[in-house]
Amino acid sequence: MTCAKYRSVALATVALIGLPALAQETQEQSPPDPQTAALLERIEQLEAELADLRGVVLQSTETASKAEAAAQDAVDRIAEVQDQTSPAPSYAVSPGMPDTKWHLAGYADVGFVGGDTPGPDSFVSGKFNPALHFQYKDFLLFEGEFEYATTGDGETESELEYSQIDLVLNDHTVLVVGKYLSPIGQFQERLHPSWINKVQGAPAGFGHDGVQPTSDTGVQLRGSIPAGVTRLTYALAVGNGPRTTSEGGVELMGMGSDDNSNKSVGGRIGFFPMPALEVGGSYLTSRVDGIMNPDMPVPAGSGLPLDARFQLWGVDAAYTKGPVAARFEYLKSERGKLFTATDEEPDGVLLPDLKMEAWYGQLSYRLSGFSDSEFIHRLEPVVRYGEFSISGHPELEEENAQNRLNAGLNYWLAPTIVAKAGLEWRDYTVPGVPDETLIQFQLGYGF
Amino acid sequence: MKSCIFPAFTLATILLTGGPAAIAQSGPEETPAAESEADTDPMQDPMQVVRGAKAWNETCSRCHNLRSPSELTDEEWDVSVTHMRVRGNLPASDVRDILAFLQASNNQ
Repeated sequence: MTCAKYRSVALATVALIGLPALAQETQEQSPPDPQTAALLERIEQLEAELADLRGVVLQSTETASKAEAAAQDAVDRIAEVQDQTSPAPSYAVSPGMPDTKWHLAGYADVGFVGGDTPGPDSFVSGKFNPALHFQYKDFLLFEGEFEYATTGDGETESELEYSQIDLVLNDHTVLVVGKYLSPIGQFQERLHPSWINKVQGAPAGFGHDGVQPTSDTGVQLRGSIPAGVTRLTYALAVGNGPRTTSEGGVELMGMGSDDNSNKSVGGRIGFFPMPALEVGGSYLTSRVDGIMNPDMPVPAGSGLPLDARFQLWGVDAAYTKGPVAARFEYLKSERGKLFTATDEEPDGVLLPDLKMEAWYGQLSYRLSGFSDSEFIHRLEPVVRYGEFSISGHPELEEENAQNRLNAGLNYWLAPTIVAKAGLEWRDYTVPGVPDETLIQFQLGYGF
Repeated sequence: MKSCIFPAFTLATILLTGGPAAIAQSGPEETPAAESEADTDPMQDPMQVVRGAKAWNETCSRCHNLRSPSELTDEEWDVSVTHMRVRGNLPASDVRDILAFLQASNNQ
């Protein structure tokens, strides 16, 4: 190669390699034009947004992982619960519950009675009513209640109020067997315990020697049936029924055995026109035998009525909403003519038709919204008026027939502890029987 | 009215209203009914407790004051509610709801 040719190759090499570097250096040193600068700035913004998005995506991924783990845990727990519940019988026992559970309940009261009465003013020991409930699983309950009271001469009276076994047949029916509180009306079955009763005693005619049956021994079917937007409640009973007393009246309490083959049939049906209002109707029918003197048998063919039909019917209503409780009950009974021996006529006497009728209305109002005072909140005024009439039994009428007015003020120490103070005016309807005014105090405790 | 009635009336009034009132006011506060509803098992039907609270309020107060759920244990409520089911002819669905509410609210 010639010298000139070497020079040409060297120059070309220098030109091809060195000029781009020279051009780049020239370009870096010169300021970018506005369009390039804008593009560079846009690129930087996009890079920043991309970094933010990467952070968000990472966070979302972490959250999704946690949610997935929680969902899987929930699915596992549901499967575990299903495994535990699937083999359960129709009457299952709550987890951790023994087969037999029990509960000691009841109520007690003490008090003072004075006023314009034949007897002296007196503190009264009241009643002590322990109740025991034993439940086997969820379908059988035994419940029994005693009543203990101290008489005026210091004796202790005891009585089995009820002793029954309840068998839950299905969601709408319970079979009750044994001695039970009478399902007639509302007062005796639900309202008579002293921590529930707003007044110290029962309304006239709804206690001892009244028209209200206290208990019976037999069998009941009872429960609740849906009826559209409301429901019906029912209690249908067949029992030993009432019995003629030695005074010629009718004993309406559960006997341990029957004195005749005629069982009583009755019960109550209730329904709720609105949630706060319950209305009901009751009915009882039976036959009662006269008491025979073995030494003086009734001659055959005498035509004397040795037994008589006994009928009882009634209606009741209760409106309870917030602090207001309004109640009404009416009962009427009839017994036909009956030949029987009595304490005064041991050889027998023909008793006339016996009719008894009783009703009461009661209104109470808890002063829970009247003031900021806790003391006022616990007060509850109550008023009750009732009438009890009897025809066909002069002694019973003289002793019990009356119009009775109660006015009282209750103080609730707790939902089941009440102190009651009240006045009771007894206007006896038989001429010559002096009226009475009672001042009554009672402390009742339900437990 | 007999003359000894008025001292007796005064004494009994003090005993039965004033004394107990002071005791009651100085005693512990009554437990709110649904205080511990959040303690119920979330796997259960939460609406059952709500239905139970409503049924408890409507049903039990027909006859008596509402007893605080904290008065009894779960086991005792189970028995007591069955007793009231029979006595009050309560629907079984209401009984189950009321029991769920009481057991969820009694802090036991």
